[in-house]
Amino acid sequence: MLLQQIINGIVAGSAYALFALGFTLTFGVLKIVNLTYGFYFSAGAYLALFATLHGAPITLALPFAAIAAGFIAVFLDSALLSRLRRQQAPELASLMVTLGATLFLYTGMTALIGSEIQRFPLGLIESAPFRFNGASISLTQIAIVMTAGLLAAGLIGVLRATRTGLAMRAMAENPQAGELMGIDTGAIMRRVSFLCGAIAGASGVLIGLEHNAITPYMGETMALKGFAVIILGGLGDVGGALIAGLLIGLLEALTAGYISSIYKDAVGFLLLVLTLWARPFGLFGRASVRRA
Amino acid sequence: MPAALDDFLWTYQSLIASLGVNGLLALSMYVVLAIGQLSLGQAAFMGVGAYASALLSLHTGLPFPLELAAAMLIPAAFALAIGAPTLRLSGVYLALATIGLGELLRIFLIQSDFTGGALGLSGIPAKAGFTLIYGCLAAATLALMLITRSRIGRAMEAIREDETAAAVSGVDLPRYKMTALVVSAMLAGLAGALNAHASSFIGPNDYGFDAAVTILSYALLGGVGSPFGSLAGALVLTLLPEILRPLQDFRLVVNGAIIVVAVLYMPHGLIPWRPLRIGARP
Amino acid sequence: MNLFRPILRTLFAAAFVTSAGFSHAADPLTIGAIEILSGPNAKYGVAIKQGFDLGVEEINAAGGVRGAPLAIAYEDSAGSKEQAINAARQLIGRAKVPLLLGPTLSTEMFAVGPIANQRQTPIIGTSTTAIGVTDIGPFVFRTSLPEADVIPGTLRAARDKLGVKKVAVLYGRDDAFTKSAYDVMKTALADLGFEVLTTETFGAKDTDFSAQLTKIASLHPDAIVISALADAGAGILLAKQALGLPQNVRAIGGNGMNSPKVLEIAGPAADGLLVGSPWFVGKSDPLNVKFIEAYRAKYGSDPDQFAAQAYDTIKIAARALNEARDLSGDAIRDALLKTKFEGVMGAFAFTPDRSPAVVSGVLVLEVAGGKFAILK
Repeated sequence: MLLQQIINGIVAGSAYALFALGFTLTFGVLKIVNLTYGFYFSAGAYLALFATLHGAPITLALPFAAIAAGFIAVFLDSALLSRLRRQQAPELASLMVTLGATLFLYTGMTALIGSEIQRFPLGLIESAPFRFNGASISLTQIAIVMTAGLLAAGLIGVLRATRTGLAMRAMAENPQAGELMGIDTGAIMRRVSFLCGAIAGASGVLIGLEHNAITPYMGETMALKGFAVIILGGLGDVGGALIAGLLIGLLEALTAGYISSIYKDAVGFLLLVLTLWARPFGLFGRASVRRA
Repeated sequence: MPAALDDFLWTYQSLIASLGVNGLLALSMYVVLAIGQLSLGQAAFMGVGAYASALLSLHTGLPFPLELAAAMLIPAAFALAIGAPTLRLSGVYLALATIGLGELLRIFLIQSDFTGGALGLSGIPAKAGFTLIYGCLAAATLALMLITRSRIGRAMEAIREDETAAAVSGVDLPRYKMTALVVSAMLAGLAGALNAHASSFIGPNDYGFDAAVTILSYALLGGVGSPFGSLAGALVLTLLPEILRPLQDFRLVVNGAIIVVAVLYMPHGLIPWRPLRIGARP
Repeated sequence: MNLFRPILRTLFAAAFVTSAGFSHAADPLTIGAIEILSGPNAKYGVAIKQGFDLGVEEINAAGGVRGAPLAIAYEDSAGSKEQAINAARQLIGRAKVPLLLGPTLSTEMFAVGPIANQRQTPIIGTSTTAIGVTDIGPFVFRTSLPEADVIPGTLRAARDKLGVKKVAVLYGRDDAFTKSAYDVMKTALADLGFEVLTTETFGAKDTDFSAQLTKIASLHPDAIVISALADAGAGILLAKQALGLPQNVRAIGGNGMNSPKVLEIAGPAADGLLVGSPWFVGKSDPLNVKFIEAYRAKYGSDPDQFAAQAYDTIKIAARALNEARDLSGDAIRDALLKTKFEGVMGAFAFTPDRSPAVVSGVLVLEVAGGKFAILK
C-alpha cells in the first residue's frame, strides 16, 4: 500500500504543482492574485472536451485548449486589468475585478452549459494502467507528472536564460524602471498572461482526463488548494511551487492512508498557516520571480 | 399592526435581518480595508462567533449579552493569532492566511460531532430581533464614523495611502493594523451571533471562501472612503439577488458583471467621498 | 451527451415560467415550488422541475384543479438556505400560495420547513430523505422514501444474495445529505451484522479518491458501501477500477448514486454497483411506460428518480387540492393525509407522520452492461 500511496501522492502533488506554476508566475510578474486563473483551468477542460466531442484526438485537443485558454487569459487581462493599471488604481481594485469576473464567468458558464459533471469520451487515451509490485499508474498520471516537471524546468530556464525572462524578472523587480530601460511592459504582460492561461488550460485538460470529471467549478476548488501551494513554495517562486505541490500531495495521500481521510484536506491549509508563522516567504525563503 | 404591514414584515423578515447582519459584516470588512489590508477571513470570524454563541445558547443558560460578548472575544483571539505573523508582511499574506483559517475552520466544524458535523446546528432560539440587530448596526456605524473623523481616522488613511510615509511620520503601524484586524473580527463575530439567533440554523459550509468573497464585495463595491460606502455596498448586494430573482440562472452572472463594471468604472466604490473631518479644512 | 443542449433549456425559459404563474388571464390556481435551479446542484432541481412541469401539463389537459388550470410559481434557491427561506417567505407571505413543493435538499427543508409550518402552509419535499425532516412540524410532508427505509433493504440483499460480509465504508463528510445517509448506513450495517473494516471520507468537491481507495483495497473487503452524490460516486467507481480493485468487490450506493448520471460518467466501471431505489426507469407497468414516453417526448432524455418522484408528487398534490374542502392549510393537510394514489412509483399514501406509507416499493437494482436492472 505504501508504494501506491506514494504514487497517488506524487500524481496529486504534480497536479497541484502544474496548476500552481502559472498561478505563482502571474503573481511574481504581474503582482496580482488573479482569481480568474481558476477559470482558465475550467475553460481549458471544456475547450478540450468540445474538441474531442467533435472528433479531435487528445494530441490535438490539448494544445488547442491550451492556446485558446492562453488567448482568453490575454483578453481578460486586457479587458479587466490594463485599465486599472493605467489609472494606477489601488491594488485591491484589481483583486476585486478578478473576483467579480470569476463570479461572472463561473456562473455564466454554468448557465450556458449546465453544472452537470461531464467527462472526456471513453477510450480517448489508453486507460488501462501499468501495474507493477501490486501498484498501478496510468498513462494520464505519467503525463501529469512529466508535464509538471518539464514545465517547471522550462519556466525556470526561460526566466534565467532568455531576454524575455530577463525582462520578466526586471518587471517583477520594478515595472517603472523596467519601462525606462526600454522594456515593452505591455508586450511582456501579454506574454505572461498567455503563458499562464495556457498552463492553466493544459492542466485543466490533464486533470479533467485523470479524474474523469469536468465541471464549471473545478477551477475554484483547485484555486483554493493553489493558494496553499504558492504560499508554501513562496509567492512567485516557480521551483518552490513544484516542490510545495509535491509535498502537499504526498502528505495528503499519506494522511489519508495512515491517519484518517478526515484530515486529508486540512494538510494543505495547515501547512499554509504554519508556513506563514515560521517561514513567511515560503519554504525556500525566496520571495519572487526575480530570484527564480 | 395592520395586516398588510404585518404580511410585509413577515415576508421580508429574513431579508431585513440579513440586511442588518450584512451591514455589520461590511463594516467589519471596512475596518480592515480602511488601513489598506485585505482579510478573506471575515466569514471565518463570523462562523466562529455564530458557533460559539449558538453552542452557548443550546447548552448553557448564559444571558444573551454575555453570549454576544463571547461571540466577539473568541474571534478576536483568532485574529490575534493570525495577525501576529502576517501583518508584518505585504497585504497578500494576510489575505491568503485568512483563506487558510476559513478552510481549517470548515474542516474542524465538519469533523466535530459537538458542532453537529455536516448537518450543523438547528433550533437556535430566536433571540435576535430587528431592534437588537439594527441597534448593533447603528452603534457600530456611529463608532466607526467618529473614529474615521478623528486623529485615528487620519492615521488610518495615511497608512492606506502610503504605509512607508505613515511609518516615517510616526504612525505605529503594527498596532494600528492589529487593532483593526481584531476590531473587524469582533464585528464579524457579532454579526455571526446575531445571524445564528435570527435564522435559527447554521451549518459548516456557510462560512467558506464564497461567503468571504461576498463580504469583501460589499465593502469594495461601496468603497472604503467611509463606513457608509461599505454599508451601501451591503445594501445593494443583499437586495440585488432579490430584485433580480426573475432572471433565475443569470442572477449571479449579473451580480458578477455589476461588480466588475462598478470597480472598473468606479475604482473607488459607489460612495467615494471622504467624510468631513473635525478640524479639516474644507 | 450534447454539450450545448442545456442552452436552449436555460435561455430565459425559466425566467418566464414565474411570471406566467402570476398571470391573471386564466386565473390559474398557483402553488409554489422552491428548487435549486442554478449553481452546482442545479441538476437535481432541474430534474424535479421537469417532472413537475410534465405533470402540470397532463393535469391541465385533464381539466386542471378545482375548475382552474394549475400553475407552479418557481423560486430558485440556488442551494442556499438564505435564498430558500426568502423564497418561502415570498411565496407564502406575498404570493399567498396554498401549498409549497420542495425544497430540493434536506438542509434547505430544515431551514424552510419551520417557516411554512409557522404559517400553516403545507409543504411537500420530493427529494428530502434525511432523518427528521417530517419531525419539523405537522405541515411538513415528503413523498420520497427516507434513506432509513431504502438502505437497510439494499444491504440485506447484498448480504443474503451476494454473501457480502466484510465491508469498507466511504462517505461524503461535508454534505448534509451524504452524511445523513452515512448515519443510516452505520446503523444498518451494525444491525445486519456486517464487519466494517474501515470508514473513510471525502469532500463534496473532491475528484481524487485514490488515497482512500488504496487504503480500502489493502484491507480486502467484500464490498464498498458508498454514500455519495452522483458526481463523486461515479468518480469513486472509476478510481476503484483504475486502482485495480477486483470486479467482484461490489460497490453499494445510497440514494445519491441511483442516477443515470453515474452510469453515463463511470461507463463500464459502474458494472456491479448495487443501489436501492423507490423507482426504476425499466419498470414495465403501464403507468411508468407512459410516463417515460411522455418525458422523452418532452425533454429528449430519460427521467431519473427525482423527476419521477416530482411527477407523482404534483399529481398527489393536485388530487389533494381537488378533494380539499377549501384552500386553507388545514383542509389541504387533511386532504393530503387521506389521499390514496397509484403512480409511477407504485401505490402511495402518507403515514400519519407524513412520510410515504408503502415501503414495499423499494427495489434493489444492479448495474449490468451499463444499465440498471433489478437484482435477481
